[in-house]
Amino acid sequence: MKIKEMVPKLDAADRSVGPPTDPDVLIDVRGLRTYFHVMDGTVKAVDGVDFSLKRGQTLGLVGESGCGKSVTALSILQLIDIPPGEIAGGEIWFDGRDLLKMTTDQIRHVRGADIAMIFQEPMTSLNPVFTIGDQISEAIILHQHVNKKEAMSRAIEALAAVGIPDPARRVKQYPHEMSGGIRQRVMIAMAISCNPKLLIADEPTTALDVTIQAQILELIKELQVRTGAALLLITHDLAVVAETVQNVAVMYAGRIVETGPVEDVLLSPKHPYTQGLLNSIPALHKRGRELDVIRGVVPNPFRMPPGCKFEPRCPYAWEHCREAEPDLLVPPGTHDKSRCFLQAPENATRRQVFDRATVATVRGVIG
Amino acid sequence: MQSSNGTSPNKDGATSAGVAGVKSGNSGAPLLEVHNLRTYYPIRGGILRRHIGDVHAVDDVSLSINRGQTFGMVGESGCGKTTFGRTILRLERATAGTVSMDGQNVLALQGQDLKFMRRRMQLIFQDPYGSLNPRMPVSDIIGEGLLAQADSENRWGDRAIRDQRVGDFLEAVGLRRDYSRRYAHEFSGGQRQRIGIARALSLNPEFIVCDEPVSALDVSIQSQILNLLSELQRQFNLTYLFIAHNLSVVQYFCERIGVMYLGKLVEVADTDALYAHPRHPYTVALLSAIPVPDPRVRKKRLVLKGDVPSPANPPSGCRFHTRCWLRERLGNPEVCSTVDPPLMDMGGGQMSACHFADKVSAEAADEAAARQSVVDTAVAES
Repeated sequence: MKIKEMVPKLDAADRSVGPPTDPDVLIDVRGLRTYFHVMDGTVKAVDGVDFSLKRGQTLGLVGESGCGKSVTALSILQLIDIPPGEIAGGEIWFDGRDLLKMTTDQIRHVRGADIAMIFQEPMTSLNPVFTIGDQISEAIILHQHVNKKEAMSRAIEALAAVGIPDPARRVKQYPHEMSGGIRQRVMIAMAISCNPKLLIADEPTTALDVTIQAQILELIKELQVRTGAALLLITHDLAVVAETVQNVAVMYAGRIVETGPVEDVLLSPKHPYTQGLLNSIPALHKRGRELDVIRGVVPNPFRMPPGCKFEPRCPYAWEHCREAEPDLLVPPGTHDKSRCFLQAPENATRRQVFDRATVATVRGVIG
Repeated sequence: MQSSNGTSPNKDGATSAGVAGVKSGNSGAPLLEVHNLRTYYPIRGGILRRHIGDVHAVDDVSLSINRGQTFGMVGESGCGKTTFGRTILRLERATAGTVSMDGQNVLALQGQDLKFMRRRMQLIFQDPYGSLNPRMPVSDIIGEGLLAQADSENRWGDRAIRDQRVGDFLEAVGLRRDYSRRYAHEFSGGQRQRIGIARALSLNPEFIVCDEPVSALDVSIQSQILNLLSELQRQFNLTYLFIAHNLSVVQYFCERIGVMYLGKLVEVADTDALYAHPRHPYTVALLSAIPVPDPRVRKKRLVLKGDVPSPANPPSGCRFHTRCWLRERLGNPEVCSTVDPPLMDMGGGQMSACHFADKVSAEAADEAAARQSVVDTAVAES
């Protein structure tokens, strides 16, 4: 197709086989496809996702429910139930090894040790019948081969590191004896207890109150800097992303639709969906004035639009968007990549309307 | 947006121009007045299940909401904001105080009078999944309230009349008429919330308690529902008590805001005043906790330490004193831990329950400047 010839195609260039050449790259996900085969057909929850994360860097994965952001994280850790799930394609290079080619035993040594995850629900992701000391030391004993006593003292250290007062008493308590904020701190303590190289946080503050959310975000940022771990933060909240990470990838319908440094993506969005998400932040609007909305709903996974997956909801779409799906394009003069035909050079005229709307949106963000 | 194509159910005297006038100012007369409302839950213990204490869920709350106004109630989970809303609606038993709606004492009503009052005040629930009966078609979910309130005048007991009305209100909330035959599981979260709104509206209420109506929804759907709620407010001249924990939503949606902490109302003000110059240290902390979407801003936070204390055993004096940054700054004055400060008028319609309310603004600026955030320090060290 014409557009593909004119614009350097990133996907093709990135999808070379073999480990990444840059030793600084900690994790490199290429062409990841995770499908679920259910009664009504196949749900392509993640359909061709590429991203990489350097050591000690932070990346935010943003999108609404069902966009595939959590499935991406679970695919990295291979916590997908197979069947009905299937990792239908792609490579996940972590520290020089392809996680998707590992045996169950090999991946078990990575999980919890090199890659740790903080889950959304601090209420349900802790086991109610064990003390938190038992739960933290379980991973330490497994991965660091120490005895129970040593593991318990490391668990106490980990609890102290996440700012839990009186950790020696807390290790003997059960999850129900703690508040939501403390439980989330316990989850974080568990995650950092084996000094992971990559920390995945899946909506770590969504279930918490604002004041506790502020505490937990500060804690995650502080630990990230202190331990030098890379951070993959999954969230639906653009404001949380703005405060926490360096790079961001916006997901929609199983694909990354825009990715780049956080300043570029939030202060000059290049994809209509990112623009719509920013417009949906109520505080950026005058009271009494109608909110700009992203019309409609996410597409039915069994009846995906043939062209651009955002086309049915996109205010800028034209016929071409219905027929073909864009690749991630790099608009000239930016560090951003956007999966939108508007960013192709020949559509500059159409892009003017979009750019004007972006200016108005960003004015709201800057305030 | 979700236009109802002129088929929307009529309600007298709700021309959009006239109502907009009420909305923009505080000139409307009070519709709802609450005085010294308390809702306690008994704690029982021992073999005899004796009454050994109380959970002070709502403790001495007074406020008034004008007709056509949207009053926001914010606070952390467990602060009593939902219990407050439910007590007003007579869904929880009040321990003391009065609630008057249009001059009638809601808490004293009984029998037919109470039943008639229930038509006038309705509730929209937080969870669009849990609040719709999965065994009922939408026509019954919305029609149930109509059936309960049927009388010879409205003839809602008549299936045809009821179904007509259900269809009208489905259209009013932007859904198709024929959805009335479907079941809840066939709808998305946003559509379910619209059904919940249609159910609340179908009895022609004047006052609606919206209990976190958008917090379970995705961001793009959230703004659709907020737009719908504003449009319906204009169309039906509704008064909202909007309970929420998302301060960004409240800032956009509400004209006046009450901040609750451990069952007490600690500050009440018009929205712009509250966000521009909060007069209670807890409000300052809440506002400073909101993340901002501008990545270049590195906010200096007044992060509160610890968790909310238990409402079964609230701290003495000012309930916030155990976590208060202002008290610490002022050298822990004794009055904070001994005397419970009343809600005091600060002028301009702003009220604050803090012994040092006049010092809040200046001290907040100094505190924010003084307090390097933990991260900045960590970054500097590394």
